[in-house]
Amino acid sequence: MNYMKIMFKSALAVGVVGIFSTISVFAADTPEIGKLPVLKIDAKKAELGKRLFFDPRLSGDGAISCSTCHKPENAFAHPNALSPGYPGNGHFRNSPSLVNTAHKKIWMHDGRLGTNLNDVTRGMITEDYIMNMDMRIMQERVKQDPLYIQMFKDAGYGEPSNGKVRKAIPEYLKTLTSRNVPFDTGTMSKSATKGMALFKGKAGCVQCHNGPMLLDNKAHNTGVPENLDIFLDPMNHQAFIAYNMFMGNENYMNLKRDLGAHIHTHAVDGSGKGTFMTPSLRELKYTAPYMHNGTMTTLMEVVDFYNQGGGQDANKDERIQPLGLSYSEKKDLVAFLESLSGDLLTSDEHVWKAKFKGEYDVIENWRDTRN
Amino acid sequence: MNRVIKNKILSVTALVALAVFAAQASVAAERKSVAVPAVDSINGKVPGLTTLGAVPVPADNKQTDAKIELGKLLFFDPRLGGDASISCASCHDPKEGWAWPDQISRGYPGTVHWRNSQSIINTAYYSKLFWAASATSLEAQAPSAAKGGVAGNGENDLMEARLALIPEYKKRFNEVFGDEWPLIANAWRAIASFERTLNQYDTPLDKYIEGDKSALSEEQIRGKELFEGKANCIACHNGALATDEQFYNIGVPYSLRWEEDGLAQITFRFENYAKGVTEEKYRTVKDDMGLYFRGKMNSDKGKFRVPSLRYTAYTAPYMHNGELFTLEEVVDFYNAGGVTEDERTTDFTETKTPLIKPLGLTDEEKEDLVAFLEAFSGDEIAMQKPILPDYKPLFTREELEDVVK
Repeated sequence: MNYMKIMFKSALAVGVVGIFSTISVFAADTPEIGKLPVLKIDAKKAELGKRLFFDPRLSGDGAISCSTCHKPENAFAHPNALSPGYPGNGHFRNSPSLVNTAHKKIWMHDGRLGTNLNDVTRGMITEDYIMNMDMRIMQERVKQDPLYIQMFKDAGYGEPSNGKVRKAIPEYLKTLTSRNVPFDTGTMSKSATKGMALFKGKAGCVQCHNGPMLLDNKAHNTGVPENLDIFLDPMNHQAFIAYNMFMGNENYMNLKRDLGAHIHTHAVDGSGKGTFMTPSLRELKYTAPYMHNGTMTTLMEVVDFYNQGGGQDANKDERIQPLGLSYSEKKDLVAFLESLSGDLLTSDEHVWKAKFKGEYDVIENWRDTRN
Repeated sequence: MNRVIKNKILSVTALVALAVFAAQASVAAERKSVAVPAVDSINGKVPGLTTLGAVPVPADNKQTDAKIELGKLLFFDPRLGGDASISCASCHDPKEGWAWPDQISRGYPGTVHWRNSQSIINTAYYSKLFWAASATSLEAQAPSAAKGGVAGNGENDLMEARLALIPEYKKRFNEVFGDEWPLIANAWRAIASFERTLNQYDTPLDKYIEGDKSALSEEQIRGKELFEGKANCIACHNGALATDEQFYNIGVPYSLRWEEDGLAQITFRFENYAKGVTEEKYRTVKDDMGLYFRGKMNSDKGKFRVPSLRYTAYTAPYMHNGELFTLEEVVDFYNAGGVTEDERTTDFTETKTPLIKPLGLTDEEKEDLVAFLEAFSGDEIAMQKPILPDYKPLFTREELEDVVK
């Protein structure tokens, strides 16, 4: 394991010195935190993707769109601890922000999708407890809308198809990139600057939260407590059970904890249980509550959690240890975390604000029109 | 005694009604079809119209009272569907002849179906379910309906998870099937068992065949003669169920809904797409190809399985796409040789059966025939929606807090 290697290296380098100097060695080994690269975007494809993202006709019963759980005013996350899910059921995880999602390599809190946003889009639209859409019906709905027919054509996609829907939405997601972030623009407050030093040093956050996205594409167990509402509310629990059943987890009816990345690592020793992907720390200002299950409501609570050495779990990452941060250090750390958030993307540029008609236009002269 | 009426009176509580259904099931088991002579028809010698015999019950899904009772709950439970808003009973509404009173059935929210919803009554006697016979048992029909994108749009995993969170179902599935946790496949078996109790044995025609010659009016008796003679309905609508369960293209035209309704146009294309037709057919076909979808034989285009005529007094509109609104219209359609009043017919004229040709019926004969068709229906079979059991958390807060990770 990576951290073992690093521990060994650091032991060699500094010998038996204090924990703090050990962490600074970790920091030296991790990708530098910094600005996000600029993505090339096809404006017409992205515009089409934007309309699709906000269109409830992309869900089975036409009641919810991508934006139902990924709300612009919450940096494309959702303010509930647990995402709403599809009508008729709840959900068992916190809705993550989609701002900068195009910069990710692995998606979902359990990291089960590691290919591309095309697959993620398909997964979200078709999953029964999320949007429950038969994409063949979706394709025919899109083909029934004259504006879509024009937009697909303008985007160079030709005739609307479900495959092109799955290309257009990711193109739009590329437009959801952080803007005017004090950290990126070099306009952090004094407190935030001190916080950044703690982040890289004493607090050791950078061990996992590194690179421009402040994540490491890995799953870790930090001992985040379970959100009992997953199990106490049958609406959430049914989605949880269905998911575990589908993922092939054993004994899913009796599960009383979210296994996280274990669903695809399936380590026989169970060491993957309760591990979750390191999330990005960008746009946290708008995306409370925090953690994969939304159990922490403020950034101070999150910092307190790490300061006490995380939660209880036999699989907890050994690097999660009490940090001994003072109150003012914690405040500085929170200030730094907040400095990683930019402007909300809530203008027309990022939000399709025109209303969708409740009814579909009829194709005139249907008998003589090619389908 | 008319069990249907009896049932109506007693259906105040679900339990009593179920007891009656159980009684019906046991009576039906001893039931024998009245032996009647074969009839000469344009289609050769065919079985005469007669009463229904014992309900066919598959060897691997025996009827029990507890299973039937469970099946009834599930039939009415919208949690066996995608967004938990519609149940089997939504498109097979007891108040609407256990069907849906529109040309094409209502669909999953946000959709419309593309064919007429068929009544549940007497379906236990069919060997072919759905209009193009895509299911051959009630056990196979139920999941197709509950899972189809324009029907129930449910998925196995989520439906099964929901059942597990309803303690009453957990208990009942255990008692009926021995399931530790309810299995979705057993839900369909229970529903099928419930449906096998929904039969009607005491129509005027049944009574007449059993010997009560006053059960049919003179008009209806004349209609019966036409049915078995000049109009030749008996060629296909024969035997106890009044269907030979064969496939014919009788000339029913495309649905006007496809010309007038954007939602219906979406479903029309989806069905062709989902059923895997060639692109050329997807682009150009404007009528329901019916049996073609099963084996992709051009000679099967526009063919549908002959439906029963039983209980049709309650199931208007008629035909696979509900294009005919009344029994009078149906008789006019056949009398014209499979052409509607506005002179429309199937797009697949090349596969239309030669059995259908103008009949030359007089107005009086048509009235007699309609009167006879009404004799295929007894009293309405009513049923109250049962009170459905609630979800309950599987674990207590204490049990969850005691977990050591």
